[in-house]
Amino acid sequence: MRTSRRWTVLGITLLALMVAVGLTVSDMRLASSQTVTLVAKRSEAQVPADDPFDTVWSRANPVEVPLSAQTVVPPKAGGDRTITARALHDDERLYVLMEWEDDSEDSLVSSQTEFSDAAAVQFPVTPGETIPAFCMGDPNAPVNIWQWKAAWQTDIDEGFVDVEDTYPNASVDLYPFEDEDVFYPARALGNVFAQTERETPIDNLLAGSFGTLTQTSDQIVNGAGEWRDGHWRVLFAREMSVDGDYSQFAEGDSTNVAFAAWDGASDERDGMKSVSQFLTLEVSPDVAEGSGGVTVWIIVAVVLGAVALTLVLALYGRQRQRG
Amino acid sequence: MAQVYNWQLGREMDYRFEEAHPERQFAAVFNINRCIACQTCTMSCKSTWTFSRGQEFMWWNNVETKPYGGYPHHWDVKLLQLLEEANPGGQAWNSSQLGDRQPYGVYNGKTIFEAAADKGNEHALGYLPSDEEWTAPNIYEDTAMGAVGVPNESHLEATQLPEHKTWFFYLQRICNHCTYPGCIAACPRNAIYKRPEDGIVLIDQQRCRGYRKCVEQCPYKKPMYRPTTRVSEKCVACYPRVEGSDPLTGGLPMETRCVSTCIGKIRLQGLVRVEDGEWAEDRNNPLYFLTRVERVALPLYPQFGTEPNIYYIPPRWVPRPYLRQMFGPGVDEAIDRYTNPSRELLAVLQLFRASQTIIFRYAIEEGEKLEGTELFNDTAIGFDKNDNEVVRLSVREPFYERPQQFQNSI
Ligand code: HEM
Ligand code: SF4
Ligand code: SF4
Ligand code: SF4
Repeated sequence: MRTSRRWTVLGITLLALMVAVGLTVSDMRLASSQTVTLVAKRSEAQVPADDPFDTVWSRANPVEVPLSAQTVVPPKAGGDRTITARALHDDERLYVLMEWEDDSEDSLVSSQTEFSDAAAVQFPVTPGETIPAFCMGDPNAPVNIWQWKAAWQTDIDEGFVDVEDTYPNASVDLYPFEDEDVFYPARALGNVFAQTERETPIDNLLAGSFGTLTQTSDQIVNGAGEWRDGHWRVLFAREMSVDGDYSQFAEGDSTNVAFAAWDGASDERDGMKSVSQFLTLEVSPDVAEGSGGVTVWIIVAVVLGAVALTLVLALYGRQRQRG
Repeated sequence: MAQVYNWQLGREMDYRFEEAHPERQFAAVFNINRCIACQTCTMSCKSTWTFSRGQEFMWWNNVETKPYGGYPHHWDVKLLQLLEEANPGGQAWNSSQLGDRQPYGVYNGKTIFEAAADKGNEHALGYLPSDEEWTAPNIYEDTAMGAVGVPNESHLEATQLPEHKTWFFYLQRICNHCTYPGCIAACPRNAIYKRPEDGIVLIDQQRCRGYRKCVEQCPYKKPMYRPTTRVSEKCVACYPRVEGSDPLTGGLPMETRCVSTCIGKIRLQGLVRVEDGEWAEDRNNPLYFLTRVERVALPLYPQFGTEPNIYYIPPRWVPRPYLRQMFGPGVDEAIDRYTNPSRELLAVLQLFRASQTIIFRYAIEEGEKLEGTELFNDTAIGFDKNDNEVVRLSVREPFYERPQQFQNSI
């Protein structure tokens, strides 16, 4: 009996070891703890900032990141969700790609009850010993957040969505002072929400704890999002080094990254979202070759091999015990 | 959650923030009995603040016919239902002990804040009205209450006070510039603030990110989302007039547009002094006198818990249970006092819509007894912020006879 158990334990250990080897070989990681790393390798091919479905992304290794409901401060909402994250760089710019499943494309905010699908990435402004709280940073350790909204993507792709686009007969015969911004106070004050001519679907933000999120006048993050067959892919792109008190990136450096996603159909906005913890982001000098289909087969073979070996060992153990 | 004192409920209650009070509080009294629903107030606000693209559906001031009307549709019925569901059968008052700090007794039910605290996911109870609910702002205009439980039947027999069987009344609504605003509790990014100088509640148009939590959690449904700027807007209490910075005011605090244009002379608006978190005793401020001394003017749905600052003289002819639900247990006393006014009350009622300048103090000069009545022809005098006289009116309105040569002129 005792010998049999010993053999089984050995088998299981072997199995775990081989799965780990398989995952390492394929560079596939499960981001269930902070030790998990998203590696941005160097892409020799061009990475187009406006096409999240470009084939270059098959060269970046995916990391599965679990998100869960925001339950720290009201308003609370969100749920368990998984996003797939990938990252690349080309010496000039850092690219982060988020991908997740969503049955409905919610890309309008023109009625009273419509909310937009959205996604965000968050980095410490200063990487180092004090990692800011993943909940939007701390007063003494701020975070830089880049938020993409589907509604802004619509404004860019199809032009600013105005009242008549939603309700063709809503408009009045005459709007006095129509061209004067002061009658659109948010616009007059430079609130990026009120922009009618948007250059990027991504907002560059700073925060030092929840409730302090502040929009910046530097709209320096580019990218694009696209909904295809029940899932979103959103690409964030920014110069690795920029002016201002924002996160900076350089080859060979490590920092942290966290993710958040909002489902418009569930009225998610503000703190009502699904969030991840911080994981490590490594800007690597290695060239992105891609895992390709081959690695998947390597994992399958390794796992199958391990299972077979375990069975054999277990059987052998039992026989020895009998004999 | 902090504990704050709400005098309208006669007790402490839960609120997201600690108590903090302005120096003065924007407040008004609306006399429902006199409103003719001409909507001049509504149009004056619209032509001042909400005539631009994206504001088509916005009526920061609206006048709705009760019991059926509402903008957005059935806003109050929905709120009452949410509260009832959160605390079935518990929304009751104990009015056995009245006092200065609890003029209507003690509310034992749950406020919108307390009802939400149980779950902890939100700061206040609420709902987001749909586009359809914001349409037809004057729906059910002039529609009277029918026979209860009998479709398409109304009471046709002659009706008389104290309660009419066939009834409706007009409810005039603007933002209440609440002491404990639901909108402020709701906003997760603190984009809404209450001004320390006058208690006016404003949405920072630069900070707002269009989350619409305020639209969801203002029980009176006064913040509204503007699709052309993708942020929320609300009644601004005509602050350039109230602070006297509008060139028109000549530097003196002036009543808001919707108040100063009121055809029915139902509105009186001003600022009350606040000391140690409570209305300072200021007997000759007409607003203080009407709400705290005479107690003829009552808050709208005090049980919501936001301590609203627009006070209503309830309509005399409406069934009391309906009014008590809407204005709390002070209704019976308020109607009695309004029906049989004291000499002073009668005089102060003359000040409604007498001047655009905000009246900070009134004085009464006693007059002769009016022949054949129990009334006295007293004179009410109103003074501005600098204590200069701005208006003088007697109980008996002066009578002018048009001379022969002007008979046909306009
Ligand atoms: C559990 C941790 C978190 C908490 C408690 C939290 C809380 C909040 C709150 C209260 C707001 C609304 C107030 C405001 O605008 O400042 C908010 C907004 C926001 N948060 Fe967080 N947050 C958390 C994690 C994250 C993460 C990980 C990210 C990004 C990866 C993020 C990105 C954002 C963004 C972009 C907004 C603006 C939302 C919008 O425009 O609808 N948050 N958060
Ligand atoms: S202007 Fe005065 S009388 Fe006319 S609807 Fe408004 S509140 Fe009523
Ligand atoms: S009425 Fe509504 S919008 Fe106005 S202060 Fe009160 S809660 Fe805020
Ligand atoms: S106070 Fe001014 S902004 Fe508010 S409803 Fe009246 S007119 Fe409109």
